[in-house]
Amino acid sequence: MRHRVFLTVLALLLAGQGDSRSESLAAKDVESAVFMETIAMPTPGEFFIALGKQCQPNWAKLLKSSTPPTTTDRERMALQLGVFVADGFIAIEAQDGQGVKNTGRDILAITKKLNVSQHIIARSQSISDFAEESDWNTLREELDATQNDVRLALLEQNDNALVVLTMTGSWMRQMDVAAQLLAEDYKPGPSALLVQPAIATHLINRIDALPDKTRNLPLVVGLRDGLDSARTHMLKGSAYNLSAAAVKELSATMSSLIAGTAEPSEKK
Amino acid sequence: MNLFRLLLLLFAVPGALLAQTPATTKSKPSPLEWNTSDHSPRSRALELAGGFSGDGYKVRDGFWSGSLEKGTPVLIEVNLFAGNDYWFSAANLDPSTRLKVSIFDVHGNPVGSQAFDEASRAAAGISVWQSGRYFIRVAMTEGDKADTCMVYSYK
Repeated sequence: MRHRVFLTVLALLLAGQGDSRSESLAAKDVESAVFMETIAMPTPGEFFIALGKQCQPNWAKLLKSSTPPTTTDRERMALQLGVFVADGFIAIEAQDGQGVKNTGRDILAITKKLNVSQHIIARSQSISDFAEESDWNTLREELDATQNDVRLALLEQNDNALVVLTMTGSWMRQMDVAAQLLAEDYKPGPSALLVQPAIATHLINRIDALPDKTRNLPLVVGLRDGLDSARTHMLKGSAYNLSAAAVKELSATMSSLIAGTAEPSEKK
Repeated sequence: MNLFRLLLLLFAVPGALLAQTPATTKSKPSPLEWNTSDHSPRSRALELAGGFSGDGYKVRDGFWSGSLEKGTPVLIEVNLFAGNDYWFSAANLDPSTRLKVSIFDVHGNPVGSQAFDEASRAAAGISVWQSGRYFIRVAMTEGDKADTCMVYSYK
């Protein structure tokens, strides 16, 4: 009897479960896979959670002091916006409510200049409220949604180039933080987090497809060169790790790229 | 099925089922939840993904949506990170359909240790050991054609 009960329970459990195992994919299937930026591009939220588990960083130390944007260069502002969003996630990881609010304020200021702030005013208030309540999980979702709302608003006003630059800024800051941590305290396992040549290639391709007017701006030319260097460093290792030397080179490249976003706009 | 897998299922399955219990109501809804006010494939997918939030999963804002036909699955590229756990949740509004979500690594090999399917919604979960590119396949195993949406959550 006990044996039959056991089998019945097991059958019920299995009935509620699909078999997660399937046959392997053919190479042509993999080639036909859909690459959607809103899904395939790593978000700072999930990347920093993985980084936190593997490196236990001192997030408060990584948090930069709030620097309100001064530039009037839209391309530079878009890059800075991406960096600010990533900084917001660093503040969340640091569980620094004031830091989250400061970053939220900077994001709102820059979106005002880009004429898309009306789309995120409500979210900006929510970010402040959730930061006040130390609701870190909801804040992660909120900041992620803010980034997506800004993206949609920029697309709505045909600022496609700014979408590419915002996305690039966010990814650059993620790589910058991880590379900096691992350059200071190298660990082979976590260095796999930095092996993202396909993402670097995607961003380079997106920059190459921008209109000539944008692509030839010194800021964007420097950005593309930096991404190309980053990709080269990433390809020096295997898919499983990067060498300590490659991590240091990558860290220097990413720091230089981030510093480049903060430089004052060139006179035209 | 070997003994190890059987034991794994016995312990893992009840946990996975319990994890699908909706989270306790928050005093202030996240804007992500505002999307659930409409009745759409996305709202159903978010509802399913929301079931994992009680277990600490955060729902990512991005999603895939499109018309899914039996025999023509969609394959979606994602980048996952070692140390993180993920659930990919798909749904549509046609109760006569059945969906299946599967996860594959960069070489096209099936991976993922947990799966759930119930009529027109399904999910697959994975604890990632190797950072990199992965592929999520959403397939209709029963039915004809329906607008379908997939969202993902992580912790």
